[in-house]
Amino acid sequence: MRNSIFKGLIFSTILLFFACGESTDVVESGTYQGTIKEVEPAKTEIYVNTDDDKTLELYFTDSTTLTRNGSNADFSELKEGQKVEVEVEKNGKRLDPISVKIME
Amino acid sequence: MTELPDFWRTEVFHPLSVHFPIVLLLVATLFKIISIWSKKAMWESGGRVLLILGVISVWIAVYTGDQADGIVSRQLCDPTVLKEHENLATTTAYIFTMALVIDLLLKFVESFRKKSVSIVLVLLMIAGSITLTLVGHLGAELVYQQAAGVNVPSEDCSEFN
Repeated sequence: MRNSIFKGLIFSTILLFFACGESTDVVESGTYQGTIKEVEPAKTEIYVNTDDDKTLELYFTDSTTLTRNGSNADFSELKEGQKVEVEVEKNGKRLDPISVKIME
Repeated sequence: MTELPDFWRTEVFHPLSVHFPIVLLLVATLFKIISIWSKKAMWESGGRVLLILGVISVWIAVYTGDQADGIVSRQLCDPTVLKEHENLATTTAYIFTMALVIDLLLKFVESFRKKSVSIVLVLLMIAGSITLTLVGHLGAELVYQQAAGVNVPSEDCSEFN
């Protein structure tokens, strides 16, 4: 029993060591299609998994436009799993979203 | 004229809170290392108290860091450093939390009181101290290379007049 608890704790620690956090990618300026992996409303931030398997971390700026069927959309309409098209500008290694279009 | 921003802004609470876990957890590790050889209970129990305080403060630092992230990320030229800093900080917090659980088992559960368990605890805390040092280094990179959360005064310092 004691050994099982102890081994469990050590195994959990090792697992957590490798499982913590998520890595993101830096891409060139351009337009990308993908799926929303995560939405953080408090930070007006989204993570997008692109079709070529990159993860983009995008913090909305004052000039970011968000549209759905050609009309302006509210940030609260963004949901995990939605298909989106994003236009990003690379500044240094930071990706600024210029536009985000909800595809569905 | 440029205005001097309020000192008590959200992103400032992270540097205010982050130095507590650095000191507490590194010294806790040192106490636990000494306790392996020393027979004095002070090292063992002192290390435990520091570890408890360190674990509390490390989670506060993770929370304040998360709050600062939403503001600072938009101003950084390389936010990938911030991501690495965040991921490693969370890993460090989990490592020391696990170490605390093991330490409390050592204290309160008779059957856990073995030298081998104490050694594993110390090894875990040494591993945590290494990741903690790396987290601190990445945090310093963010501040001193990218001015994360830092107000850069205007050239003529007019906001201080």
